[in-house]
Amino acid sequence: MIGSLSHETPVIVQGITGRMGRTHAALMRSYGTNIVGGTSTRTDTPEAAGVPVFANCRDAVLATGAVASVVLAPPMETRAAVEEALGAGIRLVVTVAEGIPLHDAIQIGRAARRADAVWIGGSTPGLAIPGEIKLGFLPDVCLRPGPFAIMSKSGTLSYECGYRLALAGLGQSIWVGVGGDQVKGVRFADLLPVLFADPRTHAILLVGEVGGSEEEECADAVARLGLRKPIYALIAGREAKEGVTMGHAGALVLGDAGTLASKTQRLTAAGASVFGSIEAIVAACISDFAAMRT
Amino acid sequence: VLLIEADGKALLAEHGIPVPDAVLVSDATIGELPGEGPWIVKAQVPVGGRGKAGGVVRCETPQDVAAAVHRMLGKRLKGHEVEACLIEQAAIGDERYLAVMVDAASYGLRVIYSTQGGIDIEQSGSAQARLCAPHPAAVVEALSELTAGEPDAVRNHVHPAGRKLADMLIQRELALAEINPLFVSPVGCAAGDAKIVVDLSAVERQPRIAALIQARPDTYADANRKLTEGFDYVELDPEGHIGLVTTGAGLSMMLIDELTARGMKPLNFCDIRTGQMRGSPARAMRVLEWITSRPSLRAILVSVFAGITDLAEFGGLLATAMEQTPTLRVPVVARLVGRGAPEAKRILAERHPDMLVTEDLEEAMAAIARVAA
Repeated sequence: MIGSLSHETPVIVQGITGRMGRTHAALMRSYGTNIVGGTSTRTDTPEAAGVPVFANCRDAVLATGAVASVVLAPPMETRAAVEEALGAGIRLVVTVAEGIPLHDAIQIGRAARRADAVWIGGSTPGLAIPGEIKLGFLPDVCLRPGPFAIMSKSGTLSYECGYRLALAGLGQSIWVGVGGDQVKGVRFADLLPVLFADPRTHAILLVGEVGGSEEEECADAVARLGLRKPIYALIAGREAKEGVTMGHAGALVLGDAGTLASKTQRLTAAGASVFGSIEAIVAACISDFAAMRT
Repeated sequence: VLLIEADGKALLAEHGIPVPDAVLVSDATIGELPGEGPWIVKAQVPVGGRGKAGGVVRCETPQDVAAAVHRMLGKRLKGHEVEACLIEQAAIGDERYLAVMVDAASYGLRVIYSTQGGIDIEQSGSAQARLCAPHPAAVVEALSELTAGEPDAVRNHVHPAGRKLADMLIQRELALAEINPLFVSPVGCAAGDAKIVVDLSAVERQPRIAALIQARPDTYADANRKLTEGFDYVELDPEGHIGLVTTGAGLSMMLIDELTARGMKPLNFCDIRTGQMRGSPARAMRVLEWITSRPSLRAILVSVFAGITDLAEFGGLLATAMEQTPTLRVPVVARLVGRGAPEAKRILAERHPDMLVTEDLEEAMAAIARVAA
């Protein structure tokens, strides 16, 4: 589903009449995303950001044929919004909200799995295929078509890497913010088969952080699938104190679990190159892919 | 957020899991001790591995208890100041390990059990785990498999404790509920320790958890700040040199790593969320006020990668916040990139001509190293 998204993919925005909804719907449209409508439970406005507004996802999907949805609902309302989208037949849902309750996230994950749909988020800027489609709010200044797939827990740290590479003429094939929550939709390991199969992708930039076991799972998946494309990894949180959360709910180190050492060791053993600074990873990418700069 | 043991045990007791008699002391005045000795004195810091770090001491006499409390209070243990000690009557029985936690990859729960409690469970390799659906009945079923080798006398006490732990985890929307050791004796179970991780995103509908957090403004300073202010600010080192006014959790964490690698001492983590400032300098002033309250401060690094935010507006708000913070007496370096960056640079140059404003993060970090040296 992710690999086949394009400028033709019909997309709705849930919560389109809110402040965030209007802004981001308009920005996604101006990027070229085929926003075909939106939903709002609170108003009877017929139109927002230049597209029709529906009372619910079912009506929106019936009228527009939408297959993807960007949910711009508050965190406490995100679970209900996703369940509504899945019930209406949406195949891919992006939730950008920060602070989705953990146990709501478990239920969202179970619902998406039952529906065999793709869930991305929360605490994510979304995803993009530069030049084709943007679902969420990855900054346009960073987006540029090119050889690197970016998958990242952090929005801003991926912006920083993507921006510097784009300035050097190295853009992205697919960019997925998997988000900073502990329980989330698509994880690093889920993306590997997609990125290995994607002909536009020549290398993978993994932007991780301490906490959880996603980087370790990804290393296991690489060991299983084979390192079919080079992986460059940057992991934030070397200085994170045990038991202290810094911003992202998922970035919590407890005991030996989720530490930088564990992630670095496992990814390195799987064949990935792990870097300790933004400058170092960007320099390595530029040097290794100098021939592909545009 | 990891609760201190005393709060974790309060939750366990409320959910019907027995805990030893205990008193919590936060100064050298120790009232009546709970029951007969021996006692265990434990530093109440939200971090694991307290035993190895000297934060758990077994005491045979009241004099030993007083000495242990005196030794621990006010000291730092694994990076946290010890503000209170729990004095507990030593429990008796065989030691087991029991934990229920959210399992992110399976969208379910992970139940972990070991016949060897009281030790580092990851190191010992004795723990067994099962994944299950997020329902108490599924937890009991998983636990039943995990305890298959145990005598009935143990199973009969452990299973009800597991069910109560699962009920608690689900009802209170916890991330982790761990009891290590769980004492099992002929009369029943008792929780020797409690490692409970709560979900800050759910406190809005979890009044009991909210009350626990709010009751300890110092112990849970970061959590309380997030709940009242709506953004993240974590003080990392009260004697740090570099204050951070930054956006984005991942980039801010990375900046802390990179500044530290260059020999600097960051004071704080911050994700100020410019999108929520809504035309007011108040939030920037709050952060500047906290940062400048530390006498060790030498310089401030502002870093904003604006995807959506108009930096022209942010630049004006930052300039105003700086003018209205009388305690600000150190150099400020700003790294601003994104929409409206040139205009922000112009505004700041006009109102704060001494300030370096750049689009280049490496240049900003080099400048910070220079002015903070």
